[in-house]
Amino acid sequence: MKSIFGRMLMVLSPGGCIILLIAGLSTLVIIFRPLPGLEGQAVWIYTPRHAEIYKRELAQWNRLHPDNRAHLGLFEYHAFQRRLLSGFLAGTPVGDLIEVERNMIGPTFTGTFDDVGFVDLTDHLRDEGLLEQINAPSFSPWTSHGRIFGIPHDVHPVLLAYRADLVEAAGIDVSKIETWDDFYRVLSPLIKDLDGDGRPDRFLLNLSTSPLQAELIEALLLQAGGELFDGQKRPVLDSELNAHVLARLATWLVGPRRMCVDAPENTAAGDAMRVRGTVIASVMPDWLAGAWKQHMPTLSGKIKLMPLPAWEKGGRHTTVLGGTMIGIAKTAPDFEKSWAIAKYLYLSPQSAEALFRGICIISPVKSNWSLPVYHQPDPFFCGQKIGELFIAQAPDVPLRSSSPYNTLALEKFDDALVSLCDYATRENRYDAGELEPEARRLLGRAQADMERLIARNVFLASQP
Amino acid sequence: MARPPVLHRVALAPIYAALVFFAALTLIPFAWMLTAALKAPQDFFSGLFLPRGDGLFGIAWNRLTLGNFLRLFREFGTARALVNSFFISSVTSTLATLFCAMGGYALAKFPFRGRGPITWLVLAALIVPGTLLIAPGYQIIWRLGLLGTYTGLLLPGLAPAFGLFLFRQAMLNTVPTELIDSARIDGAGELRIFFTIVLPLVRPMIGAFLLLTFLGAWNNFIGPQVILQRPELLPLSVANTNLKGLYADDYGLITASTLVSIAPMLCLFLLLQREFISGLTSGAVKG
Amino acid sequence: MKPTSLRSYPAWAPWLFLAPFLLIFFAFTAWPLVQSLVLSFQQTYGPRRAAFVGLANFSFLLRDPLFWKALRNTTLFTFGSVLLQMPAALVLALLLNRPGLRGRILFRLIFFAPSLVGTVFVGVIFYLLFQAHTGIVNQVLHALFPSFDPEFAWMQDHVMSSLILAALWMQAGFGMIYFLAALQDVPAELIEAASLDGAGPWQRFRHIVLPEIRPVAGFVMLLSIISSFQLFELPWVMFNSGGGPDNRGLTIVMYLYENGFIIGDLGYASAVGWVLAVLLMLAAIIQRRLARKQED
Repeated sequence: MKSIFGRMLMVLSPGGCIILLIAGLSTLVIIFRPLPGLEGQAVWIYTPRHAEIYKRELAQWNRLHPDNRAHLGLFEYHAFQRRLLSGFLAGTPVGDLIEVERNMIGPTFTGTFDDVGFVDLTDHLRDEGLLEQINAPSFSPWTSHGRIFGIPHDVHPVLLAYRADLVEAAGIDVSKIETWDDFYRVLSPLIKDLDGDGRPDRFLLNLSTSPLQAELIEALLLQAGGELFDGQKRPVLDSELNAHVLARLATWLVGPRRMCVDAPENTAAGDAMRVRGTVIASVMPDWLAGAWKQHMPTLSGKIKLMPLPAWEKGGRHTTVLGGTMIGIAKTAPDFEKSWAIAKYLYLSPQSAEALFRGICIISPVKSNWSLPVYHQPDPFFCGQKIGELFIAQAPDVPLRSSSPYNTLALEKFDDALVSLCDYATRENRYDAGELEPEARRLLGRAQADMERLIARNVFLASQP
Repeated sequence: MARPPVLHRVALAPIYAALVFFAALTLIPFAWMLTAALKAPQDFFSGLFLPRGDGLFGIAWNRLTLGNFLRLFREFGTARALVNSFFISSVTSTLATLFCAMGGYALAKFPFRGRGPITWLVLAALIVPGTLLIAPGYQIIWRLGLLGTYTGLLLPGLAPAFGLFLFRQAMLNTVPTELIDSARIDGAGELRIFFTIVLPLVRPMIGAFLLLTFLGAWNNFIGPQVILQRPELLPLSVANTNLKGLYADDYGLITASTLVSIAPMLCLFLLLQREFISGLTSGAVKG
Repeated sequence: MKPTSLRSYPAWAPWLFLAPFLLIFFAFTAWPLVQSLVLSFQQTYGPRRAAFVGLANFSFLLRDPLFWKALRNTTLFTFGSVLLQMPAALVLALLLNRPGLRGRILFRLIFFAPSLVGTVFVGVIFYLLFQAHTGIVNQVLHALFPSFDPEFAWMQDHVMSSLILAALWMQAGFGMIYFLAALQDVPAELIEAASLDGAGPWQRFRHIVLPEIRPVAGFVMLLSIISSFQLFELPWVMFNSGGGPDNRGLTIVMYLYENGFIIGDLGYASAVGWVLAVLLMLAAIIQRRLARKQED
């Protein structure tokens, strides 16, 4: 024995010996370590928020259906994205049921029709009458090559949430607000410098050009009737309406009529600002109501909801933000089993109720809308029946594009906004009308970039 | 050894002051992370470093907690990721060292046909940036059916060009050919000569290279992220980032996880400073 | 000492020793290198589906504003990083090189520790430190300088500075080690002779020490440039797997990674890789030329 150690020390320093030892031990551990065997269908999700709810729902399902059990797999957003693509394109294992978010699904649609790793559900949805039962606009982001690849999770109507305590204490009556211009006019007395340092410490709305807020900007654009892609999925970034919206957004963010501050949702920093009262109002899709209740319990009884101020008189009072679907992977061993679980998780009244109780999301199934859970007063929102309020806006919710390049187009739109704000600050021009020509020019550049990018894709180009 | 003329003690004072200042700057992030990892979520913003309270120096010592670390190991499988990291790093470094030592020996001590071209080939590979090889490497690993396996992750890293180069230099400089020849005359086999005569002569380089490749593999991020698929196989570098993505607001959890990830390397360095540094500098000052 | 062997050895001997290395090298370094050239003329959707597109990847790359932004960011970062890290490393080495200094080992350990942490973890650490509202950098700076904005948006408006500072913290100690070794090698007689001639510390430094450590400085600078140009993990982790606001943190390798593994076009990623390789070669040649000029 001694000679072996002696010989090892002739060759390896103490450090080397340690590493060799670690190598040997860890190899043994790795070889004999059991990998958790997960039985049944794998349901992949990316957000911890759904994890709690689905765990309970699946536990119930597993009790009732011991022959069709399912388990949950939670993955970090970007890891999830990568594994999704790797699974579809390189054949590495993916879940059987996969819940994806709107921004994740783009890359799966940029290849040929056969490359899409989800099962085409169009015929199943039609045959079971689900196409009529589900709110039609909810299908839009999940459609590609003319076929539907997932069951939608939501409707995601949007309202405006505001600090009722601060607003009413200042004697302001929000029922007079009809448009965004009204919003600024009526609430601007609240923009104040509270600590005497010459800079305002209270703002009216949470919005900025940071990438975390890009979806919010898209939501506002859609509310105004603008769009990034037309019905044929061709980019239309440089339309007149888009330029108009861009210019007006810039005046909200910089200049003497600035009313926005960067208080991103679901971050500690943003929440601290909301609790402090640095932000008066936020654009609130239904799922955000649930998040606020969880993260900022001290705001209970201080928040009220109202329809979004429209862009023009008589315009839309709501928009759409976010979107999730559940798809079934082509590699799932048993389609019928997966289909059953998907329908249960997404469409059943039980899940609808659990979902609303847990995170305030409205089910896309219209018949579920009469469930009592949607019509109860919510103490967080000063007794308002928020389920009813959101459902009331459901018919007006705009369509979301299903172009796989939507995320990229949105990035370029956001970039244009940043450039426009810089331009406004440099040229000291803060009137929306003055900014429109520059907005048009910036969007024209973004449009050219998008066209070049899309034209480049040889796989899509070969498809009808 | 060249040193400037010895200064009077007093004149050293500003130097000490500067050093202490820079050392503080360097250590503050570590110190903050340690205190953050020991705080419960509700205390997080109560003090800059340690939570304020009624204890000694106005600090609530009794509120410090190991809860974050416990959660890490119980709920998030950190122990598993730790073992994975150790496995990946130690196996990579031992095998890479072995292969580079063998290859360096061959290139240095055997005048065979093809030695010239091979040496040039490997030297040329030194210039190639690693990032150029990620995309085709991924495709090749996929073709071999090794995606998602440890084999697919480890194999490409076992033949680093600079390792071959380092060992070749070391062999040329410190291994006398006469010694090898006399062993051959005595009838020793080639492998025996390698392990009992040659390797002990390059012991410093072996130790240094082991540590260097261990460090490199421990902190490797792109490789595991792109090749490994199952979360149970992930090393700390990837697991830590995923944790940050999922629980971005739980600073206690994230700092605890980061501390667990960097502690082993810091310990190794504490124990083996001299080897580390000699390995780093041997490539530079001569090359 | 003759390098060649007098005694004959079996012909298979060198090949046996080279075999493991060569096999792996050819499979995973040489062959991918060739493949990357092939791939750069293709467009792929994952590793399975590929189509030949000739020079289309390169022509798109040259016109893609995102690539130019990545190039600009990476170059800025490299400049700023090298400009700060070299003097910092040298200063630390000079401070530590004083005779009669107690605790040299301790200080060396402290300054080198950040290099061990790894870019991923440095990214996590500085992501937390640079938070606008809850990060300690702002809180400490505001406490020391009350006029400093306590909500300074490091990772929004000062992306490049945040990255350069994080990299400085991480790498200064690394360069210090090299400079220390180089300083040790400066011949004592030269220094003594100079001080006997009446040269002051600054003159000694400028005319004796500096020229002696120039080769090492050149080496460290080259290493620094090559690794800075390939920056990826630091901004990737700090900006939550993205290029940050307005893509101010987008680097060339990040651009490569996003195109290759998030969009799935391995061909385009290879094209980007080749452009990067050419740029690195140019940078290395320029650095060597400048270094040689200074030596004359």
